[in-house]
Amino acid sequence: MTNNYQEILKKCSRCGGCQAHCPLYAERGREPYVARGKIELMENLEANNLEWNDKLAQIFSTCLLCGSCSENCPNGVEADKLVRLARKDLVLARGLPIIKKNVFQHLLKYNGRLKTVGKLLAFYQKSGLQKIVRGTGILNLMPMDLARKESILPSISGRAFRDTVSARNTVENPKLKVAYFTGCITNLVNPQVGISVLEVLGTHNVEVIIPEQYCCGVPALASGETEVTKFLATENIKYFTNLDVDYIIMDCATCLSTWLEYPELLESEEAGKLTGKVIDINRFLVEILDIKLKPRELGIMVTYHDPCHLKRTPGGKTSPREVLKGLSPSYEFVEMELADRCCGSAGSFNLTHYELSQKVAHHKVEAIKASKAQIVTSSCPSCIMQLNHSLKNNNIDVEVKHTIELVADCLKANSLS
Amino acid sequence: METTILLGGKGLENRIINKLKAIVGQEDVLIHLEDRLCYSYDGTFQRGIPEAVVFPGSTGEVAEIIKLANMEKFSVFPRGAGTGLSGGSIPQSFGIALVLTRMNKIKEISKEDLLAVVEPGVITGQFHQEVEKMGLFYPPDPASLKTCTMGGNVAENAGGPRAFKYGVTKDYVLGLEVVTPTGEIMRTGGKTVKNVTGYDLTRLLTGSEGTLGIITEITVRLLPRPKDKKTALVIFDKLEDAARTVTAIIYEGVIPATLELMDRVTINCVEKQAHLGLPLDAEAFLLMEVDGSSSQVAEDIQIIETVCKNNDCRRIEIASLPEEREKLWTARRAVSSAIVQLKPTKISEDATVPRSKIPEMVKCLREISAKYRLHLPVFGHAGDGNLHPNILADKNDQEEMERVEKAVGEIFKAALDLGGTLSGEHGIGVMKKPYLEWELGEAGLNYLKAIKKAVDPNNILNPGKIF
Repeated sequence: MTNNYQEILKKCSRCGGCQAHCPLYAERGREPYVARGKIELMENLEANNLEWNDKLAQIFSTCLLCGSCSENCPNGVEADKLVRLARKDLVLARGLPIIKKNVFQHLLKYNGRLKTVGKLLAFYQKSGLQKIVRGTGILNLMPMDLARKESILPSISGRAFRDTVSARNTVENPKLKVAYFTGCITNLVNPQVGISVLEVLGTHNVEVIIPEQYCCGVPALASGETEVTKFLATENIKYFTNLDVDYIIMDCATCLSTWLEYPELLESEEAGKLTGKVIDINRFLVEILDIKLKPRELGIMVTYHDPCHLKRTPGGKTSPREVLKGLSPSYEFVEMELADRCCGSAGSFNLTHYELSQKVAHHKVEAIKASKAQIVTSSCPSCIMQLNHSLKNNNIDVEVKHTIELVADCLKANSLS
Repeated sequence: METTILLGGKGLENRIINKLKAIVGQEDVLIHLEDRLCYSYDGTFQRGIPEAVVFPGSTGEVAEIIKLANMEKFSVFPRGAGTGLSGGSIPQSFGIALVLTRMNKIKEISKEDLLAVVEPGVITGQFHQEVEKMGLFYPPDPASLKTCTMGGNVAENAGGPRAFKYGVTKDYVLGLEVVTPTGEIMRTGGKTVKNVTGYDLTRLLTGSEGTLGIITEITVRLLPRPKDKKTALVIFDKLEDAARTVTAIIYEGVIPATLELMDRVTINCVEKQAHLGLPLDAEAFLLMEVDGSSSQVAEDIQIIETVCKNNDCRRIEIASLPEEREKLWTARRAVSSAIVQLKPTKISEDATVPRSKIPEMVKCLREISAKYRLHLPVFGHAGDGNLHPNILADKNDQEEMERVEKAVGEIFKAALDLGGTLSGEHGIGVMKKPYLEWELGEAGLNYLKAIKKAVDPNNILNPGKIF
C-alpha cells in the first residue's frame, strides 16, 4: 500500500461520525458497513492480522462509494478512496470475480463488443424474447433474484448513439467549440440524452465534436481493477488531446468524476491540463453559455436528484437547479427532501446487492412521492436507470429524465410556437 | 497506554454461542473475526476484541443474556453507537459486546407531562428532532449527537455545550428500566419530577458506565423549546480579557446557552487549514449563544455586547438569522478537522475546573504543552470550565506517546489542584482509571468498589472499567 493510503488511514479517530451519513449503515446498523469499521479492518490487514478472504471481500463490496462519509468527516478521511484502494489490494491478492473479470478484460476495452452486447440486449427486448422469457417464469427459478434484476435493464436502443450522429456537428460561426464525452449509457442505452445535448448546444451556436472514445473506466476503477482503468484513461486522453476545443462536456456525473481522477491515476500533468477543460453540461449551460429560454406555461412540477459524483464538483449542486429554474413556467422546480442522498445505484451495486440497493432507493422514492413532482430529473444516466427501476417497483407514476432533455423539450416547444 | 491488538480471546464455546442465538436469533450474533474487530473500538485508540457481538431486541432478551452470562461466567460489555471517549464500551478481549442499537424506539413523547420515554438505541440527534417538532426541547447535546445513543448518554452521563445553562444528562433523567448485573428487570424513579422513594438509583445508574446495570428504557424530562436565539462571536487580544468577560456576563445575570472558547493555538490551526481570515495574533475567541423569548434574547445580547466592549474586546459580531448564525460557527466547526492536520492521533481530555480558574488552567496547559513538546490546542466550554484540552500526537510514535501519557497525568493534576475534576463528561472508562484515586481518595474508591461488588457478585458487567 502507498504512503498516501497510510496517511489517510491514520487520520481516522473512530469517532463514528460516519454512521450518521452512511446510507448502508442506515439500513443495516452494523459497523462493518460503515467507514470506520472498514478502516479498522484495513488497519488490521496492513498489520497482517488479517488476510483477504470471502468475508472481507463481501464487506468491502458493500459500499456505495457515495462519499457522504468523506464529505462529512470531521477529520477529512477520504473513506471512499480508501475503499477503492482496498478493493485494488483485494484484486491483487485474489483476483476479480469471474464475471467482472470478463466484463472488464473482454468488453470494456472493446467498443465493438460493447455495442454487440447492446444490440443483443435490444434484440432480446424487442424481438419478443423478453416477453417469452418473462412469461415462462424461468427467471424466477434462477438464483440471485434474477427475475427482478433483469428488470433493472432499461429498454436498450439497439443502435449506438455515436453511430447515428456525425463526429463533427458544425454550426455557422460557432461561438464555442466543445468535445463531447458521451459515456456508455447515453451511447448504448439512452441516446435521447445525447440527441438533446446536440440540439441544445447547436441552437446556442456551439460546435460539438464527438471523438472516438472508450468507457471512462469507472466500473473497473470501483472494483479495484486499476490496470484496465489506466488503459481506458490513456486511450480517452489520447483521443481528446490536440482537439481544437474550448471545453470537454459530459452529461454523466460518474464519467465526469472519473475523468477528474485521470491525472492522479496516470500521474500525468498532460492529463491534468486536459481535465481542466472538463465540465458538466449543466454547469456549461449556466456558467459558460448563460442560456436564456422563453418557456411556455405548462406548470409541470419537476424535482431534482443530486448524483453523488456531481454534487461535490464546483457548481455541481447549483448548476442543475439553475438550469431547471430557468425552465419556469414550463417546468416548476420543487426541491425534494434528501435530494442529495445516494439513490443506491452505485454502478453495478444495484446488481450485486440488489435488495440493499432497493432499500436505499426506497427513501428516494418516498421523497419523490412527497415532493408531488411529475418528473424527477438528474444528471447521471446511472442514477436515472436506478430511479426508473425503483419508481416502477413501487408503482409510482413519475417520469425520470436528464435535465438536458427538459431543456431540449423547451427549445423544441419554442421553435414550434 | 496499551495499543497492542490482541486478536480475540479463546473463543466462547459453541454451546454458549448457540444459546445466545436461541435468545436473539441467528442473524443477531456475530462471531467472525472480521465482524468482531468492528466492535473492538470506540472514539479512543483503545482496543479489545469481543468473542461475540450480540444485538438484543428487547428487555426480555437482555435479561436472558445476562442470566446466561452469570450461569456460564462470561463478561458482558454493553455498547451503544461506540462513540465514547474514555474506552467505556471497549471489550477486554473476552466476553461479548452487547450492542443495544436495535432497541431504538421512541415510545412516548408527552407534551402534557413534558417527558419522553425512549429505548436506549435511539440516536440523540434524532430524538432532538422529534421533540422539537412538537415544540419541545431536550437540552443535552454531546458533540457526537448525530450518532450517539440515548442509552450511551445516560450510561456516561453525557454533557455538551449547553450544559452551563441547562445542565447535563443526569438533570433530565426521571426514571429508568434496568437489567441488573444478575439478570433481573428493575425500574427506578418514574414519571414525576419529585420522587424521593428509596435511594436515588436513577442518579446512581446515570453515569455508571455500564458497570451496574444495562439501561433498557429511559424516561427523560423535557422543556418547552426556546422561541428565539442569537449568536455572538467575539475576538479578544488577551485571554484574560475573555475570561473577565465571561465572569462579567454572569455577574450581569445572563446565562448563555453556549459559551465556547478557542485559544490562540486553535485559532492559528484553523486559519492555516481553512483560510477564513482569522486574526492570528488574537489570544481568544468567544462564541456565545443566548436563547429564550424574543425580548429576553434581545436584552441578553445587548448586555453581552456592552460587557464585551467594556472588557476590551477587539471585535464583536452578532447574528440572528439561522444562516448568519451558522456563519459565526464556521471557525468553531472547522476545529476538529483542522487540528488533526497537526498530528493524526487526537487525545481528547475533558478535565474540568471551576469557571473562575479558567485562565489559570489555560496557563497550566500552555506550560505542559511546552514542557512535553506537544501540540495542545484548547477549545471548549468556557461556561462550565470544561476546557477540552486536546493533545495531538501520532500513536505510532512510541516516544511521543510516552510524553503524552505524562502530559495527561499533569493535566489531571493541574485540574484537581485548581479544585476541578478528572472528567467533566467523557467518563472514566479505561483511560482515566489510573488517576481515579487522586480525586476520590481511598475511601471513595472503596465505596465504589463495594457498590459494584454488592450488585454484581460475579463481576459480569463491563469488568475492568472505572477502577
